[in-house]
Amino acid sequence: MSSPLENLETQLEMFIENVRQIRIIVSDFQPQGQSVLNQKIQSLVTGLQEVDKLKSQVHDIHVPTEVFDYIDQGRNPQLYTKDCIDKALAKNEEVKGKIDSYKRFKSHLLQELSKTFPNEIAKYKAIRE
Amino acid sequence: MMSDQFRKVEQYSPKSSPRGARSPVVSRQDSSGTLKTTISLGKNPSIVHSGPFYLMKEPPGECELTGATNLMAYYGLEHSYSKFNGKKLKESLSSFLPNLPGIVDGPGQEDNSTLGSVIAKRPIGGKELLPLTSAQLAGFRLHPGPLPEQYRYVSATPPKRHKSKHKKHKHKDGAPPGQDTPLQDSSNQDSYKKTQKKQKRHDDDKERRKRKKEKKRKKQKHSPEHGGLTPSQHPVA
Repeated sequence: MSSPLENLETQLEMFIENVRQIRIIVSDFQPQGQSVLNQKIQSLVTGLQEVDKLKSQVHDIHVPTEVFDYIDQGRNPQLYTKDCIDKALAKNEEVKGKIDSYKRFKSHLLQELSKTFPNEIAKYKAIRE
Repeated sequence: MMSDQFRKVEQYSPKSSPRGARSPVVSRQDSSGTLKTTISLGKNPSIVHSGPFYLMKEPPGECELTGATNLMAYYGLEHSYSKFNGKKLKESLSSFLPNLPGIVDGPGQEDNSTLGSVIAKRPIGGKELLPLTSAQLAGFRLHPGPLPEQYRYVSATPPKRHKSKHKKHKHKDGAPPGQDTPLQDSSNQDSYKKTQKKQKRHDDDKERRKRKKEKKRKKQKHSPEHGGLTPSQHPVA
């Protein structure tokens, strides 16, 4: 059993192939090609019906609109995924860096404060524990 | 006790305070002189005892998942990461959709075929899709003959970048993407046969020429004119 997305992809590919064949028929039209053309036009309608039927199976799939920008510019949409992964990784590293820095800062601050205010820091630590 | 304090705060709220912005006088339980309370003003003034330190708050609860974790590994996306970063991705859309006929790498704005325009201006939907009646099909009756020149640009195929060797395995029908393959199988076979014949004839010609050359060489060896010249010393015909 193929996934809903695979079904949709197959249907769309068949539809595109149908359109391509119609293009070939009409690009140098022969009188005997009329019946074939009529069949092809009817199969276009059938193809659209099939795609329409699959609509309910893919309604929960969300696509970021930025992906469309990539496609509209003739670029590989996988580049968008790659960019997202790169950004997420960079942000992850940045946040980890901040957390580590704050941790080091906290321990250093406590260390220095306990030198200057030993009693208060002892109290503070007692509260925190 | 708290209600007493609230009443006092209300009494000295900024609106009704005769002393302007001065802090309200609130009785403190602590006699040591250190501030132990946090006073919040506003609509719901409150006084919270917060211990012996200034501005001391409860630390935020420990969160299991933070940026300190390698989130790529946590969500099991390392495979996707290595997939997209391991090899260099091809920039063009056609490399993602190799089976799509025609030229798809150009910007969609050129021929108003952007996906963005589908979102901006949604197509009419919600109507039932019905097969065309014979009367409707009559509208698609065409005149015989080729298309006028200006409409032929769409049938242009993108230039081949790869060797056909690689594409052979990708396409089941043996046709590279974007190329117009004939519709009928018989015509396809005919053209295939023709090319095969041409190839054969070409090979035959080659062999014939080879044989002639060899004969010539043999003759030259045995002829009296042949004076043991090296091939490079032969006069150019």
